[in-house]
Amino acid sequence: MAETGFWSGYALPFLLILGYILAIVVPLLISVAFVTYFERKIFGLMQIRKGPNVVGPFGLLQPFADGLKMLMKETIVPAGANRNLFLLAPIITFTLGMIGWAVIPFDEHLVLADINVGILYLFAISSLGVYGIIIAGWASNSKYAFLGALRSAAQMVSYEVSIGFVLVTVLLCAGSLNLSEIVLAQTELWYFIPLAPMFIIFFISALAETNRTPFDLPEAEGELVAGYQVEYSSLAFTLFMLGEYANILLMSGLCVILFLGGWLAPFDIEPFTWLPGIVWFFLKTAVVMFLFTWTRATFPRYRYDQLMRLGWKVFLPISLAWVVITAGALHVFGWMP
Amino acid sequence: MIVEQITFYIFAVITVISGVLVIGSRNPVHSVLFLILAFFNSAGLFVLMGAEFIAMILIIVYVGAVAVLFLFVVMMLHIDFSKLRAGFTRYLPIGCVVGIILLVELILVLTTGTVDFNIPKNVISQIPNPEAISNTEALGNLLYTQYAYLFQIAGFILLIAMVGAIVLTHKKRNEVKKQKISDQVNRDPNTAVTLHKIETKEGGTWKSD
Amino acid sequence: MISTLFLTQLQILINEAMTEFSAPDYLPALPEIFLGGISLILLTIGVFVGNRITTLLTWVTSLVLIAAVVIILSLNINDQITFGGLYIADTFGTFMKCLVLIGGAITLIMGMSYVKNEGMKRFEFPILILFATTGMLLMISANDLISLYVGLEMQSLALYIVAAFKRESIRSTESGLKYFVLGALSSGLLLYGATLVYGFAGGTSYEAIGNIIESGDLSLGLLIGLVFIASALAFKVSAVPFHMWTPDVYEGAPTPVTAFFAAAPKIAAMAVLIRVLIGPFYDAFDQWQQIIIFISIASMVLGAFAAIMQANIKRLLAYSSIGHVGYALVGLASGNEEGIRGVIIYLSIYMVMTLGAFGCVLVMRKRGQMIENINDLAGLSRSNPPLALVFSIFLFSMAGIPPLAGFFGKFYVFMSAVNADLIGLAVIGVLTSVIGAFYYIRIVKIIYFDKPKDSFDKPINIEITATLTLTGIITAFFFAYPSPIISGAAIAARSLLP
Repeated sequence: MAETGFWSGYALPFLLILGYILAIVVPLLISVAFVTYFERKIFGLMQIRKGPNVVGPFGLLQPFADGLKMLMKETIVPAGANRNLFLLAPIITFTLGMIGWAVIPFDEHLVLADINVGILYLFAISSLGVYGIIIAGWASNSKYAFLGALRSAAQMVSYEVSIGFVLVTVLLCAGSLNLSEIVLAQTELWYFIPLAPMFIIFFISALAETNRTPFDLPEAEGELVAGYQVEYSSLAFTLFMLGEYANILLMSGLCVILFLGGWLAPFDIEPFTWLPGIVWFFLKTAVVMFLFTWTRATFPRYRYDQLMRLGWKVFLPISLAWVVITAGALHVFGWMP
Repeated sequence: MIVEQITFYIFAVITVISGVLVIGSRNPVHSVLFLILAFFNSAGLFVLMGAEFIAMILIIVYVGAVAVLFLFVVMMLHIDFSKLRAGFTRYLPIGCVVGIILLVELILVLTTGTVDFNIPKNVISQIPNPEAISNTEALGNLLYTQYAYLFQIAGFILLIAMVGAIVLTHKKRNEVKKQKISDQVNRDPNTAVTLHKIETKEGGTWKSD
Repeated sequence: MISTLFLTQLQILINEAMTEFSAPDYLPALPEIFLGGISLILLTIGVFVGNRITTLLTWVTSLVLIAAVVIILSLNINDQITFGGLYIADTFGTFMKCLVLIGGAITLIMGMSYVKNEGMKRFEFPILILFATTGMLLMISANDLISLYVGLEMQSLALYIVAAFKRESIRSTESGLKYFVLGALSSGLLLYGATLVYGFAGGTSYEAIGNIIESGDLSLGLLIGLVFIASALAFKVSAVPFHMWTPDVYEGAPTPVTAFFAAAPKIAAMAVLIRVLIGPFYDAFDQWQQIIIFISIASMVLGAFAAIMQANIKRLLAYSSIGHVGYALVGLASGNEEGIRGVIIYLSIYMVMTLGAFGCVLVMRKRGQMIENINDLAGLSRSNPPLALVFSIFLFSMAGIPPLAGFFGKFYVFMSAVNADLIGLAVIGVLTSVIGAFYYIRIVKIIYFDKPKDSFDKPINIEITATLTLTGIITAFFFAYPSPIISGAAIAARSLLP
């Protein structure tokens, strides 16, 4: 190996990587802010009211006003709380919401880390999400928070199982664990058509994994007064919010990559290919994100036993059967990649 | 590769320290959290070794599922630590003696050169080519051909564990009401509801038949 | 590079797999495949039908075990290795597997009424026994440390569960838990030893290890690995000093389960111990002989002395089984064909006697309550003379009184020890069996000469009667027609030795 200087060998790559990371994280945080805005706007429209419209033109500055308000408040750590863990929990949630994006391909070759096991990496990250919540619930030293945390742990572990099987099906079809290759394998046909049931299961499980309605039992405001977040305020609470929404965006992105052809244009012909891949990716993510919001505005909350029943008795058998069917079909028809 | 070495030492040191803290910390929840940290850093070490598949599986299975349940149980249990520690001082001398004897033996074995730490020649015979085949593929090729037999038995072992958990803990509770969706769907409004025409001012005297 | 070592290993394995892989020969493993498949089918049926099918499932399971014996005998495969060297089928395995299967089938049939009466009537019971038996077969047939480990785990896991099967009984739960914790420890020892052996021999297959040792390259690491593996297996056969769990587990577990523990897993573990020591570690004979001699003497002595003070019949049988393991190990210590033949004969006879003795324990029931106190046997000769007779036969046989079967077992192992110049070991064996005779005969005295208490519940059900008759006849009249077992054992022993 040739001698490399400190600057060209270490410092420059380091700065470059740092630049890439910022180029992902900063737009991500801004889009998280606007996602909350759009969510409220959509709720407003669906409930025949206006939604935020006071701060800035069309209320566009509302998220920033909210953020500022949060930051100005006092960080309260309850007296009986385990201080270190209490403050660690939101950091974990926030960090996990960010680091998943490292492997997301926004366009062909436009990915920070094009690793071999990208899909497993994302699965690992999403399965870690439970820690922020469970630690928050325990460290708060509050009954409501703890109940929320327990619910969330059980729920996320349960739905991870079916997500795992969905991932297995997709990677059976794609023949790779690399996210870019999974997208490229969909050039002919997006997977949401042949794997329609898995797409639905994945979407619903993603709702459960991110604790969104109708699976938002961990924070059920009616019974648990916001569950694991009940003792949080100010910056810590903001971190939770940001992490949660970043996670939702990540799940939407994953959904797009696995089933909706990632950055690929819907048809490989003139008017569609004018738009660059990254725009298609964002458009599709926005559509899935809208589905998340739509669900939230429409459905009431599940009861806990119903939630468990759905996860273990409906999704698990169906997804398991589909893994077998898909593998069998691939083998019999010789479609194995 | 100095970066690789630095990373290795960071991961290794954190793994060892968190391993010590798993048994050292006073609070069992902290112990579990340090265990998770240790898993994480071992996963990092696996990545450094080029075994990214195992690293990810380690995180998904151990950190994502097993340790969550650990944490779950530990948080739910109220462990009285003063009680657990009661025997500590009593057994400390014996523990120390055993530890010192083992240490002396280890030193004796290692310094006298009776153990040959060179790996026998028949072990390393070929130079690997990690570029040719990805980690996951390689493991799959082995697991489903050469070791399919063991893979199947491992499946049986897991099945037995599952059967065991159900046999030993599952209780059929009859006093708990359960939702039966089929019953709900099959309920016929004609048999469940009857309509009655009640005359005005007759409501107080009307009785169901 | 840090990654070199790992990748090297992987690469070698890949090359092996990719170049040589073709579908394995499934035929030698037909009995295991049969049992595994049937167990899954029965489990599914059980899940859908529920606990009311338990009795039927128990019968089916015992029939399946017997059918597996038929399959094994009709295949009669000698020395075939399959599944890429992970599995071996030979005459030794055939003999041991048949023993284990028969033991499993008989305990299932014998324990049926107990299972029904003691609230253990859940369909998982026969299926767990089936799983455990399958695990034992796999472990007997293991030709590689990894397949040994998975087979061992499969049987142990199922056994932990059946030990705690009577879950509303604290003693049963305790015994399951104790067995589990100590069993996990022994699995850890085995894995640790296997790791060392793998590291220092460069392979996990018996062949590879054998080649390394044969070439005279017995490094210290390999030796330490051997000691660990031997300790773990000694734990599984409950030889002293790894016997601590045995009395508690035997006492606490439900009686049919205890009978099963004493019969099947012990024989399977013994078979594994023999195969490992005589197979890959054969050339390290001088090293492991000392270990075997030590644990053999310790087991015989402890079995003889500790049993004297016992008041509980199951505990007494536990100590007695520890002693029997000691006697069987005498044969292994001589390490030649004659010795192995002695061990195999001993184990066959031991299984028959143990099943019979536990059959008698299963009859000990007064007013619907199981009892386990030795003193409750008082005056059995008057209240139930046939039972008293058959129980005495088993006890005399265990004590090694000629012409009963137990005497022949001891005779063959001691003869092999004498011929292998282990006269001291043989003398100790004879002495301890004299001491051991004391407590066996004490029970006979209680049965025949003590003041009668109220009699056991009658009638004794047909399954136990049949078992007792069968095992009693074999034990009493073994001397008349010993050739099937003795010649079978001789063939089995010959197939094992190089």
